[in-house]
Amino acid sequence: MDGKPLIVALESNHSNLELIRQFLEKEGFQVLGLTSMDELDTILEEGEAFDLALLDLTGYNRSIWDRCERLRKGGTPFLIISPRQSADIQKESLTHGAKAILVKPLAVSELVGLIRSLLGE
Amino acid sequence: METDASFRLSTGISGLDEILDGGFIPRRAYLVRGGPGIGKTTMGLHFLTSSASQGEQVLLITLGEPEAQIRQDAQSMGFDLKDVNFLDLSPSSEFFTAVETYDIFSPAEVEREPITKMIVDQVEIVKPQRVFFDAVTQFRYLTADVFQFRKQVLSFLRFLIEQGATVLLSSESSTFLPDDDLQFICDGVINLVLEAGRQTISITKFRGSGFRRGPHTMKLGSRGIDVYPKLIPEKYVSAFTSEIVSSGVPEIDEMLHGGLERGTSTLISGPSGVGKTTLGLQFMKEAASRGERSVVYSFEEEMLATMVYRCESINIPVRSMIEHGSLSLVSIEPLRFSPDEFSSMVRREVEDRKASMIMIDSISGYTMSMSGEDLTSHLHALEKYLVSRKVTLLLVDEVKNITGEFRISESGISFLVDNIIFLRYLEINGELHKAIGVLKKRVSDFGKRLREFEITGDGLKVGNPMTGLRSLLSGRPELGDLTKKEGG
Repeated sequence: MDGKPLIVALESNHSNLELIRQFLEKEGFQVLGLTSMDELDTILEEGEAFDLALLDLTGYNRSIWDRCERLRKGGTPFLIISPRQSADIQKESLTHGAKAILVKPLAVSELVGLIRSLLGE
Repeated sequence: METDASFRLSTGISGLDEILDGGFIPRRAYLVRGGPGIGKTTMGLHFLTSSASQGEQVLLITLGEPEAQIRQDAQSMGFDLKDVNFLDLSPSSEFFTAVETYDIFSPAEVEREPITKMIVDQVEIVKPQRVFFDAVTQFRYLTADVFQFRKQVLSFLRFLIEQGATVLLSSESSTFLPDDDLQFICDGVINLVLEAGRQTISITKFRGSGFRRGPHTMKLGSRGIDVYPKLIPEKYVSAFTSEIVSSGVPEIDEMLHGGLERGTSTLISGPSGVGKTTLGLQFMKEAASRGERSVVYSFEEEMLATMVYRCESINIPVRSMIEHGSLSLVSIEPLRFSPDEFSSMVRREVEDRKASMIMIDSISGYTMSMSGEDLTSHLHALEKYLVSRKVTLLLVDEVKNITGEFRISESGISFLVDNIIFLRYLEINGELHKAIGVLKKRVSDFGKRLREFEITGDGLKVGNPMTGLRSLLSGRPELGDLTKKEGG
């Protein structure tokens, strides 16, 4: 680690992932982009350390909640990105330990602010 | 740096320059708005190409149509875009073929910055005097909300204007996406409207200048846009002269106390076939002998064939008058022109070719042939314009009744003309006669008596005043017969 906080982003859409990387790197974060849950599993299994996770629900099934539970147990803060405003998603996310739910489209400044506050900067 | 409002930039469309009192005021922003296919981009091309030849730098920023397509269409309309700088910000086909497009951030977040940077870079390189931005409403998708949009556009315009540019923005407006905010921001607003098959242009705002209220007729053709400004009577100051225009027929001149005053309007009224057009041409024949030029606008006859033949046979040498340029016969196809276009045509004759006498044959034909509403006021404006230019106007008006109850006019415009000459059929002892009379003359007195009138192989023949008859105007005079009958 070279001092920059590491953020893991799970995102099924490559264009989105690229944008997240661009914006966050510009703000001084390191981004590890993942597109499948298997990749996330590998990282969780290997116990690699990171500071925060961004999980975009789009393109994944309900089993994503299991990963949320694992993140919570590991004490890593994570944010859920939801394709739409939904009471169900909100409830599930909070139940499984999400720090916040963001609905697309996101405002960059909001996202960055939230990450900074979660990281205690 | 011209801040003087009297210095104007041509819009590239002469009719529009006229409406705008000379053109755009430099270093201001103008909005051209309208629905799809109405000519917004074409107007931008006119604006850019009108000065590219003068060594000005011009820039076209397109957010919608790709450069290649604009160039192709421009070429087919005859625009030379050689010296036009392009900034093509339209989406490329990759945008669609890319399997995934982003949805995590709004376009405002993702694309505004790079687009803004490209615009700023290009403007700083080109340093344009004229910028056309097509279409600024697309900017709306790049801003988060209405407030942001307004602020963005304002600061964008300020940036361009500080660089020395005059800006034309196009706006794709509709009831679903109103653009009132843009109209408030810009210094001038040009509206293009298609209504009932007629295209019109009107200015609703022009800071720092007067302008002519519309709607004016506009044509988007294969060679670009033409604008035909509406004639507004107040614009022309009437200049009265007492110069008399003779008819060339002594008896008619006598009835008119010398003739018609130059620069007045005269209604020639009468039933079908009585000789109204012939009487008008008689005035023109006399005008030609003085070396003046006249124009006849015919709305109902297959003129060049029949009228030329008919006039030749009654000693009005129409053919040689046309050959010598002292007469022009113009046949107006029904529904092809709007009143504004017709007025522009008449103005060209008067201003460029110095016509001194105009005949409209006839008012009802004019009314039927013109598309659009409120024709009487258009005709009134035309009449006032011609009078101010000292052009003598003859209006032919056909009345329906052959004989019977007397009527001056079917079109209700007799109040706006200076003179009225009427032609009548009379039935006397079972024989049909024609009579001519004067009903109104604003400037001078006139002979109140009717005279018999005939069209012969030698031309118009007019007899002495008819006396000894009563109820001439009924068409069936009583008592006695014509005491003096001349001209066989």
